[in-house]
Amino acid sequence: MAQTSETSVTRGAHVQHHFVDSDQQFESSKMGMWIFLVTEILFFGGLFLGYITFRLWYPDLYIMASEHLDTFWGTVNTIVLIGSSLTVAMAIRSAQLNQQKGLIINLCITIALAATFMVIKYFEYAHKFELGILPGTYYTYEGIPHDLANIFFSIYYMMTGLHGLHVMIGIGLMIWLIVRARKGHFHSGYYTPVEVTGLYWHLVDIIWIFLFPLLYLID
Amino acid sequence: MQGHHISSAGFLWTVGTTLLILTLLTVSVTWIHIPAPFNIIVAISIAVVKATTVALFFMNLWWDTKFNLLLLFTSIVFLGLLIGLTLIDTMFRSDVVPGW
Repeated sequence: MAQTSETSVTRGAHVQHHFVDSDQQFESSKMGMWIFLVTEILFFGGLFLGYITFRLWYPDLYIMASEHLDTFWGTVNTIVLIGSSLTVAMAIRSAQLNQQKGLIINLCITIALAATFMVIKYFEYAHKFELGILPGTYYTYEGIPHDLANIFFSIYYMMTGLHGLHVMIGIGLMIWLIVRARKGHFHSGYYTPVEVTGLYWHLVDIIWIFLFPLLYLID
Repeated sequence: MQGHHISSAGFLWTVGTTLLILTLLTVSVTWIHIPAPFNIIVAISIAVVKATTVALFFMNLWWDTKFNLLLLFTSIVFLGLLIGLTLIDTMFRSDVVPGW
């Protein structure tokens, strides 16, 4: 039947039966991702609230403790994450233009930048652990003349740790995208996983955009 | 929704460069030591501009359906409620943490 073959051509293999067309499927996935990002914002929001509450109670503590965070490496990490956001956006553009090679290259650069971020974070953490700057009751450092110095670092480790976990998950998602891209799953008509992973990655970048001045740039 | 928005490579690089410049700006303003409440205001303002730039031009909200923008806006409103309602308690306590 001519009609059947015609619809199967316009629908494309990627469109699931409960969607009207490819665009509706794409828009639905994207909206679902935005709803997830809303929960992520509120999830991190609780930690930002903890940060604000304690900062208003103990403003001196934050100024003293923040001097033990290295602004230089914080700045480098911010630039690295912004660069990775750019390459993710470029990866989506490649997918939209059927440039499979460009898609894979951009995803690889993104993974490399994300890994760079984590390596720098590892050295920052390792240096603090050596000094005895650990969260909560494990805190043994004597160099900050404030009774509650451990509280600042509990907040620091919780916020940057949770953010770092998101970066690790992002790396995993990007590897998954490369595997699928190599199999030729993505093209201008279907690149939804690249798009929604991109949205996730940009949100992780946005969270760091706020963490950086709040933790590193207190003077 | 016919056709998805495709940003040009030049545009994406411009957005990335803008974010880079704003990052360097937010670091360099700490060198001139702006007095107490204003340094936080400047730092957060720059962060808000950067976050808005990412949301509009990297996450494509500028061209997207307005519903997704509404979702983001709603999350910010509820975050504001969470922070605001908590602070009207914690900011006006005589005994900061009772029994501490």
